[in-house]
Amino acid sequence: MAKIIKHQIFYPNPAAEVWDYLTVPALMAQWLMPTDFKPVEGHEFKFTSKPMPDWDFDGIFHCKVLEIVQFEKLVYSWDFGPGNGQMTRSEVHWALTEKSDGTELVLIHRGFEGSEILPIFDAMEKGWLQNINKINKLLNPESDGKPAA
Amino acid sequence: MENPRLDAFQVIADPSRRQILYLLSKDSLTINALAENFDMSRPAVSKHVKVLNESGFISIRDIGRERYCTLHEDGFKELQKWLEYFDAFWAGKLKKLEGLLKDKAAKK
Repeated sequence: MAKIIKHQIFYPNPAAEVWDYLTVPALMAQWLMPTDFKPVEGHEFKFTSKPMPDWDFDGIFHCKVLEIVQFEKLVYSWDFGPGNGQMTRSEVHWALTEKSDGTELVLIHRGFEGSEILPIFDAMEKGWLQNINKINKLLNPESDGKPAA
Repeated sequence: MENPRLDAFQVIADPSRRQILYLLSKDSLTINALAENFDMSRPAVSKHVKVLNESGFISIRDIGRERYCTLHEDGFKELQKWLEYFDAFWAGKLKKLEGLLKDKAAKK
């Protein structure tokens, strides 16, 4: 299971152009979402999207600029929830590297609070039958030929 | 008092609930056995167990007078669902950005 979301993509543009699309609200709205972003550390802003009631998501990503280095790096928090004040917290990291013929952009979306629990799931998929067998033995202690403890 | 419905990430954001899941990843345990691992009261542990049960991270079966807790995959699949959603979300958005940037580069 993916524990980290990472995308790396090369654009045939100088870093300054790519940067504009990451930091100018009118340009961000063209490919990402409408936003009141400002390229200032500590600035709190929102992205507005369609609500997904089935997923307990009210359509608003609550963000804050955590780190910004012009043309190179941008980090913001990315919190979302059903609209009742409960939030799932995460972070979006952008890194730009200018090359001779364009710019390499790396996006990492991580830091989902509590996601260090996910390895359990991997282990669980493997040990699934074992667990079910264990419960069956507890339910039917005679079935494995041994007396109940 | 009912807990407001929590999403999967909110459920596991609580360290005690994560600890319960770690313990259950090793073995199925009764609520009493779980409670022995915590300083908090048994009712407090029970409350966490209830949240984990309602959100599909564990299942509870009554065996004799004991209630056994076992990991359940639904809650974990809920987490996976969000990660997969954002993975696809960004892939789509970055593709769109690529279109815009390529147009811009071609206009020079």
